[in-house]
Amino acid sequence: MTESNKPNLSVRLGEINLKNPIVMCSGTFANGLEYSNFYDISELGAITTKSYSLKCKDGNKPPRIWETACGVLNSIGLQNDGIESFINDHLPKIKDMNADIILSLFGESCEEFRELALAVKKIKTNILAVELNLSCPNVEKGGMIFCSMPEVVEKITISVKEILNIPVIVKLSPNTGDTIMIESAKRAKNGGAEAISLINTLVGTAVDIENIKPRLGNVLGGLSGPAIKPIALAKVYTLSNENILPMIGMGGICTWNDAVEFLLMGANAIGIGTANFVEYCVGLKIIKGVSDYLESKDIDDVNKIIGKLSNKQIIK
Amino acid sequence: MKLLKEEILNNEKYGENLYKMEIFSPYICRNAGAGQFISVKCSREKIFDPMLRRPFSIYDIEKEFNVFSILYLVKGRGTYLLSLLKKGDTVDFIGPLGNPIAFNMNSNDYLLIGGGIGIAPLYLITKVLTSEKKNVLFIAGFKNSNFAGIEKDLLKTKAYYKIFTEDGSYGNSGLATDFIKENINKYNKYQFYCCGPVDMLKALQEIFLGKKISATAIVEQRMACGIGACMGCAIGIKNEDGEIIYKRVCKDGPSFNIMEVIFD
Ligand SMILES: Cc1cc2nc3c(=O)[nH]c(=O)nc-3n(C[C@H](O)[C@H](O)[C@H](O)COP(=O)(O)OP(=O)(O)OC[C@H]3O[C@@H](n4cnc5c(N)ncnc54)[C@H](O)[C@@H]3O)c2cc1C
Ligand SMILES: Cc1cc2nc3c(=O)[nH]c(=O)nc-3n(C[C@H](O)[C@H](O)[C@H](O)COP(=O)(O)O)c2cc1C
Ligand code: FES
Repeated sequence: MTESNKPNLSVRLGEINLKNPIVMCSGTFANGLEYSNFYDISELGAITTKSYSLKCKDGNKPPRIWETACGVLNSIGLQNDGIESFINDHLPKIKDMNADIILSLFGESCEEFRELALAVKKIKTNILAVELNLSCPNVEKGGMIFCSMPEVVEKITISVKEILNIPVIVKLSPNTGDTIMIESAKRAKNGGAEAISLINTLVGTAVDIENIKPRLGNVLGGLSGPAIKPIALAKVYTLSNENILPMIGMGGICTWNDAVEFLLMGANAIGIGTANFVEYCVGLKIIKGVSDYLESKDIDDVNKIIGKLSNKQIIK
Repeated sequence: MKLLKEEILNNEKYGENLYKMEIFSPYICRNAGAGQFISVKCSREKIFDPMLRRPFSIYDIEKEFNVFSILYLVKGRGTYLLSLLKKGDTVDFIGPLGNPIAFNMNSNDYLLIGGGIGIAPLYLITKVLTSEKKNVLFIAGFKNSNFAGIEKDLLKTKAYYKIFTEDGSYGNSGLATDFIKENINKYNKYQFYCCGPVDMLKALQEIFLGKKISATAIVEQRMACGIGACMGCAIGIKNEDGEIIYKRVCKDGPSFNIMEVIFD
């Protein structure tokens, strides 16, 4: 144990150092401002911003939310103010909160990712990493296309890495099947990525039989929450066994027990998404829960449990 | 806005599937205004099913007793679980959410139109306005007599009210919107506050079209976070240039100029 007799929680994902493995998922935490009403968000391992594109995006036609058994369907459609607005209006406020920031980016073409990288290059504030959302199933021409084509994953990663000195995380989808997911992770590594975020939402839908119409304005949406946890955990396990890159595992995590399951299955860090909508302080609770769990098991370092149940070799 | 766990003083049945829950909360009584809402975690502690919190308008605030209430209809799993709670239980909620109504106190006459459970936010508006000695006419429309219980609350205020039921089993027979349509010229100097089903709000839009009427709608939308973080509760709003932009009901609303709202 460390001096304070608390287990070490800091983890490394390649060049990315996190003070603890608890990260907030893109699109579910805005830029942290709303949540800083409830707690000091600088205590989190990192916050991932909503996904930004080059120009502002209106998002999808409402309704955008439909609750399912133990889960939520959303079709937000990546509504955002555009990267310039992030840099000029939002970033200064996040900086004041001292949180470690992962900046999520989303483009509709390889060229847009390159232009986004050029815009991000101007940022003076310290950014922990950029996360390339290559997996969003919501947008017509969007993410799905990129990460179902591993060679494109590599191309985008290379083009962003050429411009930016910041570590790159590639976020993958569960909707492509394992073979493509593994290949994409390999290509992300070839392209210079530091880590993989896994999983984004699963494509789903629901129907209003009374009025005979889809529940979501966009018809299709992304399923998140506890309903997808077993699938997410299996994806993390599968990719962990391949020993390609460190991972931020996410999908349905609501409690510290869920988080520990992901760590044991090979996630080097874990992401919390939908749970933030219900338990506004869930991030802090999970940090404490993981720490208490380690203490109860007499384990002095969280790294000792990462990948314990997969064939993972800790990648230094 | 604060996360709270407060004591339930009463969870009274007001009609079939209709309840009024009184909650002891000095914080809400001090900080909430008419038109705001709370979001309740209906699942039990440490349980995430049903997953999302449920939004409810603040129905009444009794400052002298530090008590506020919500009036709710049992619709699905969340509200069913709420209806099972008893006096002495605690309820986990966040509030106040959304913006309080910015009243135009220059006016003297106000017309409130509520349809079904849409009357919930209008009751506190009535109380605020009547306490300022304003002339308030409350028009409520229901399917049947199920909401009769609210009359005892309305009687406590100095508002004039008219209740309509579609089946004629209580109050006047007919649609509240028909009454408005027939009498609109009488009330066109009034400030309107409207809340109810989409069909009612659409009908009102038609009635108000082309008239110089100042009308506010309090709208509903499916929500996830309730605090402005997820963009889930978007609603189309027509801006001055006629463009449709998406606003968040939870953070930018829930009240909007009725003529600007796009009801799908
Ligand atoms: C700002 C606001 C204020 C509201 N005030 C009141 C009130 O004072 N009294 C009252 O009875 N109801 C009110 N509602 C509607 C109330 O939130 C829903 O009836 C309730 O969420 C239904 O939950 P359920 O689990 O019983 O139903 P289910 O149908 O099982 O709910 C499934 C999901 O749909 C959502 N949902 C269902 N109906 C609505 C709706 N009409 N609007 C928004 N989301 C919905 C639920 O929150 C949940 O996420 C309000 C809604 C909003 C947005
Ligand atoms: C409302 C909502 C919005 C989201 N927006 C984004 C986004 O902008 N970019 C992204 O990469 N993922 C987005 N996601 C996916 C989450 O980051 C996360 O990968 C997924 O929800 C699984 O985690 P969870 O089950 O804990 O929510 C969004 C999810 C939700 C529910
Ligand atoms: S419900 Fe999340 S922004 Fe309104």
